[in-house]
Amino acid sequence: MKRLTIIAAVAAAFAATGAYAQSGPIKIGVVTPLTGTYAGIGQQVKWGIEMAVKEINDKGGILGRKVETIYEDEEANPNVAVQKAEKLFQVSKVDFLTGTVNSGSTLAVGQVAERNARLAATTVSFSDAITGDKCSPNMFRVNAKAGMQSAALAEWMVKEKPNASVYYLGPDYEMGRSTVAAFKAAAEAKGAKSVGEVYAPLDNKDYSPFFGQIRAARPQVLYTSVAGNDTVRFLSQLSEFGLAKQMQIVGAAGSVTAQNMGAIGKAAEGYVTGAAYSGEIDTPANKKFVADFKAAWKADPDLYGVDSYGVMYFYKAAAEKAGTTDTDKLRTAMRGLEWQTPQGKKTMRAGDHQAIQDMYAVKVVNGKFQIISKVPGEAAVGADTCTKF
Amino acid sequence: MNELIETLQFVYAPQVVNGLAIGVAVILMALGLTIIFGLLDVINMAHGEFYALGAYLGITLVAKGVSFWVCLALVPVVMAGIGYATERMLIQRVFHTKDRHILTLLLTFGLAIIAEDVFKLAYGPNPYKPDSPIPGASELLGVILPNYRLFLIAAGTAIIVAVWIVVYRTSLGAMVRAAAFDRHMASSLGVPVERVYAGTFAFGVALAGLSGVLLAPIYSVFPTMGKDFILMAFSVVIVGGMGSIKGAVIAGLVLTQIQSISSLYISPVWSDPLVFGIMVLFLMVRPQGLAGRLGHG
Repeated sequence: MKRLTIIAAVAAAFAATGAYAQSGPIKIGVVTPLTGTYAGIGQQVKWGIEMAVKEINDKGGILGRKVETIYEDEEANPNVAVQKAEKLFQVSKVDFLTGTVNSGSTLAVGQVAERNARLAATTVSFSDAITGDKCSPNMFRVNAKAGMQSAALAEWMVKEKPNASVYYLGPDYEMGRSTVAAFKAAAEAKGAKSVGEVYAPLDNKDYSPFFGQIRAARPQVLYTSVAGNDTVRFLSQLSEFGLAKQMQIVGAAGSVTAQNMGAIGKAAEGYVTGAAYSGEIDTPANKKFVADFKAAWKADPDLYGVDSYGVMYFYKAAAEKAGTTDTDKLRTAMRGLEWQTPQGKKTMRAGDHQAIQDMYAVKVVNGKFQIISKVPGEAAVGADTCTKF
Repeated sequence: MNELIETLQFVYAPQVVNGLAIGVAVILMALGLTIIFGLLDVINMAHGEFYALGAYLGITLVAKGVSFWVCLALVPVVMAGIGYATERMLIQRVFHTKDRHILTLLLTFGLAIIAEDVFKLAYGPNPYKPDSPIPGASELLGVILPNYRLFLIAAGTAIIVAVWIVVYRTSLGAMVRAAAFDRHMASSLGVPVERVYAGTFAFGVALAGLSGVLLAPIYSVFPTMGKDFILMAFSVVIVGGMGSIKGAVIAGLVLTQIQSISSLYISPVWSDPLVFGIMVLFLMVRPQGLAGRLGHG
């Protein structure tokens, strides 16, 4: 009898190790800028993901498996992002990749994901091309694209200043040019007049050489899509030269965020943007998220933090719907998936892998984003232009 | 005719005056670099990080309640101490070897990488923007200029003139130039060459720190800020002639004006390649630069 017990115990132990080897942790690779001008954005990405992973693991993980994250610094440089993504897929064998900030990085990493037959999602990149003409069957976007932000902002602008003359200043790379193009199209369609545009290099230190052109064009509205520390310099130099008072400054959602608002200070007051998120969204889910985020990191979440938090729940919902982490089954589950985030319910459009969500026009008042109008997701998202799958 | 005057007044004049403020900033950075190179024959790759350190020291002191104006005097003194220690403890160790150029370049490059990460650990990756100590803007002949930039142009010019006087019109400067011209001869005539070397390095570092404090209210403070001016400053040093103060001033003014005016006509992204193109041309046609080396004329 005793011998039988031992045999049973040994068999049980073997069975247990066998089961363990089959499950193992689900590995999530995060390629995000941890250094350079976009390091502040990478910080929010990391905070959002870490917080979601901890919550998910505390509740038993995904499909009974723990979630593990591996970080790599992409330096906001597509070449570096490709190397790091390749390394995560090949060496670390990650199941899923996220975190890319630079739109160029996201486009490049989408191709890396295709070659490695794994899925990836961006939580930050704005460029319309990612879920438009350069869409990838292996790349998803859980955040709002430039077009959606522009639609919400343009909607507000034409109500506030009908037939406004608009000047555009963007950073000279994929994101800058596409955000300006998207807003320009949305604004012109609603009757605004474009009076000029200029593209400054990324990490530009002094914007005053462009102020002559801006002043000469006499715009009523100035649109910008510079981000990170570039916005700190641009907006404070605008107010330094007394230009900020002469026009309404509006811009992309990523230009003024919780990360750089402190440094911009008074020069950010009155800035209006179209956004997918505001800490002020008055729902129990968002209030809990903001409180937990502050408790964990001693900082306010911004749109990058909330979307990076949300992508983990997107992955969880898809894996649970598919019942597996197999790439093809997971992709099918992600298409058309509805999931809950602090911003409310989001839907992943099957045709182009773009998340649909409600949008807001928000204004900086006393250093906080106040919601001044809301645009429903279906109205903001625009047509599906992806033809690759 | 009226149109021409208007264009000059509202398009070119602001561009030229703006370029002047940027030029002064670049020259301040290039001065320290060129003096260290001219005398020690060391290419200080960490110059930008000393500039960042000055800016961080400045915002730390201001946060502790020290006034900005006191910081302007205090930070260069602290930075000079740090520079002196760096030269004696690190640079001297590899200075007397055969591969001096490569070793000092690698050493200072390593210092730059370490410093950048230390800034990030100590202050976090997010930028700081000190309030402008002189807010507001003035109008001169229809050109609007922030008061602080006017102050920068004035203060920068004063600093450049002061540096020139120290190097060319004082006995201290004569020792420095003598040591740069022939260190063995200077040494045998009683010039304390070792201390002159460390002192000069400290002087260059103090200038970088001072620029950091001066420029922080315009350009903000963040871990990678050292990279901002360093390429432009190197171009100025190369075009102006390594070690020449006069050359650095002329090259600094000309190159920033070229950038400023050209950005009216070509995409600003091309203004950097334009400046570096001029630098490459100089290296090919006139490698000694506009003016000769420190101590050589």
